[in-house]
Amino acid sequence: MRMKYSFFAPRSKGDGTQPRMRTIKMRLSWIGMSLLLLLIIVTFLFSKMLTRQEEESKIQNLRSNGIHLVNLIALFPIKDFETAKRDFLLRTLSEYTSQEGLIYLFIHDNTGKPIISFAPGNTSSQIPEHVKMQSLFTMGLAEQSFKTAVSGEIVYEFAKPIFERGEKAGTVRLGLRFRPVAILSLQHISILAMIIFSLFAVLILGYYGIVMSLKRLRTLHENFKRNDMDLPTDMTSDISARHVMPMIDDLEQSLSQIQDKLNQIKTINSELTSKLGVTTFEKNQIMKILDSINFGIIITDMHNNVGHINGYMLKLLNKKREEIIDRPLEETLNHDDILSFISTQEILDQDGPANHKEITFPDLAPGETFQVSSSYMQVSERNPIGKMIFVKNITHEKLAEESRHGFIAHIAHELLTPLTNIKSYSEMLIDGEIQDPDVQKEFYNTINEETNRLSLLVQNLLNISKIEMGSLTINRGLVRTDWFVDGCLAPIEASALDKNITIEKKLPETFPMLMADKELLKAAIINILGNALKYTPESGKITFSITEQDGYIVFEVIDTGYGIATEDIPHIFDKFYRSDNPLVTKQTGSGLGLSITSDIVYLHNGEIGVESELGKGSHFTIRIPKEEYQIGKE
Amino acid sequence: MAKSKKILIIDDEAPIRRVLELKLKSRGYEVIMATDGEEGLNLIKSQEPDVVISDINMPRLDGETLCKMVNPSKKTRSFLTIIMTSRISPDERLWVSEMDDTVFMEKPFSPSKLLECIDHYLGIQR
Repeated sequence: MRMKYSFFAPRSKGDGTQPRMRTIKMRLSWIGMSLLLLLIIVTFLFSKMLTRQEEESKIQNLRSNGIHLVNLIALFPIKDFETAKRDFLLRTLSEYTSQEGLIYLFIHDNTGKPIISFAPGNTSSQIPEHVKMQSLFTMGLAEQSFKTAVSGEIVYEFAKPIFERGEKAGTVRLGLRFRPVAILSLQHISILAMIIFSLFAVLILGYYGIVMSLKRLRTLHENFKRNDMDLPTDMTSDISARHVMPMIDDLEQSLSQIQDKLNQIKTINSELTSKLGVTTFEKNQIMKILDSINFGIIITDMHNNVGHINGYMLKLLNKKREEIIDRPLEETLNHDDILSFISTQEILDQDGPANHKEITFPDLAPGETFQVSSSYMQVSERNPIGKMIFVKNITHEKLAEESRHGFIAHIAHELLTPLTNIKSYSEMLIDGEIQDPDVQKEFYNTINEETNRLSLLVQNLLNISKIEMGSLTINRGLVRTDWFVDGCLAPIEASALDKNITIEKKLPETFPMLMADKELLKAAIINILGNALKYTPESGKITFSITEQDGYIVFEVIDTGYGIATEDIPHIFDKFYRSDNPLVTKQTGSGLGLSITSDIVYLHNGEIGVESELGKGSHFTIRIPKEEYQIGKE
Repeated sequence: MAKSKKILIIDDEAPIRRVLELKLKSRGYEVIMATDGEEGLNLIKSQEPDVVISDINMPRLDGETLCKMVNPSKKTRSFLTIIMTSRISPDERLWVSEMDDTVFMEKPFSPSKLLECIDHYLGIQR
């Protein structure tokens, strides 16, 4: 903890100023030192350049003198130096001998033997041998330089052959001294001082200019860091700062604008990031929704490349998503009906009503019917960006539609048949075509029966309608079963008598009471009894019984009729179902009676069952619970 | 002349058969009857009736199938077929229109109208 404290302590505002100042001063000292070093280097280079230029000038003069002299001497015949002009030459040369002038002169004969040797002191021994040899054997002007071993002087030797009568008669060698220029000589020191002074002044001005500019920029930088854009007031008084002030102001404005832009971009970036997150989430949600709905969706671009396909469609096509996505629809969707439908839709108006087409997948979904439809995705009016193809399983709708059409056709037939009979029979009677009284009576009876048939059919239809709409309500009341039995048997007894059918009644001594909708229950039992009468041949027998068993009132109807085929039994309570048995079909019937009967029994929480054997007869049992009555009694 | 004409009534509804039988016999036609399509088909072949009156909804063989089965034979021996229909679908009218010498009569129809249609086809003036 102490270490932590001592680590953070210098960073506090009050204690952090001194180290920072020290750091700044140290940095400024380094800048000063560097500038001083730069001054020395520049001065050195400048003086070096100055002396070099002067030295080059001196060398040029020296060469000019040397060449002039050696050419002049080489003009004389070699013999002159042996006799008459020898002394004169030596005297003249001695006058040239000075610190800056001639060091030595040698005149050799053609064998290399010196005829005149003018070399004060031990100069001759300091001349390198290779210099002498090159001078002696060069056929033209020779110019060499060397440094003497002892004194370290720089000597330039000039040599030239002496020609007499077209042949080399001897060689003139001349040595001249060269003294390097001394920068600290009296004549140079003033120039050097001026150069140093000028550079020093420029450096000082430059130093302060840079330091103040850096200080100004540092202040600006610290303000940026603190997000405080106010300038220190003393800056305006500074000369250097005044020079750079417009530039800094522009820079400040630019930086301020950049910072504003940066902040805006950060804000926009943040908003976009959050929007992207929301959009990604929403996209995933939509994809999940599309995958969970129970119809197929394919989304393509305007070039029919698949962009999305939902799970239902993949399952229907038995393909994987990666096999289809980003590929042309024509390649991936091997279904001619869908492809031809889509190409047809492309021709049609995009804003037109959505069409659809029924299709099947015989291999992948046998026996099922699908409907394909498509629509354009539009971002604006008449600017589509893609297509959506929907594939919906309409098998149930098709079956329902077929069932509805079948129902209507059946009802029309069932209603129109008795109507036709009534119309035909009444027309014949009205037209007076039936004169025989017995036939007239038969006709009136037929009209009456067909009217009853029509009435029963309409009643059944109404009940069916109520059952299907869920509006068939039971008006329960206390039912006296003795009266109830009489009400059920009365409508069939006359017809039974006509067919010579015996109706046997097995009734209890004490009739139980029952809570039920008397009219509905009576309609149900009359349907059973009516069927028994209809499908029992003449001289047959119908047994009707009522008993009480295990809290149920049990009605049983047993006939000695044609019976029901085993394959028909599971369907006899289905709406409109009629057996193909000719003994059944020759009787009129709507196929609604048993369907309504079973519905009525179920509405009473009862049960209905049948046992039958073809050719022997049928046994129907209806069980209605008594419990409602017991509750009512309490 | 009318006595030589034979009319076949095919219907599973006994009252229809009965009333049409009385109506046609009273006008001198010979009437034969069948209770389903299969029986009717046999009678068409064996009795060669001049007119066939048939229902559509019948057991074993329906009226539409029966008509389509006998229609080719009308090329060699033409006879009138009257279809008694209670169906309201346009498809019914379509298949009837494709049959030779076939008309439909919607239920409930008048026996007198039926007789007029038969007389007209057979060219009988009354």
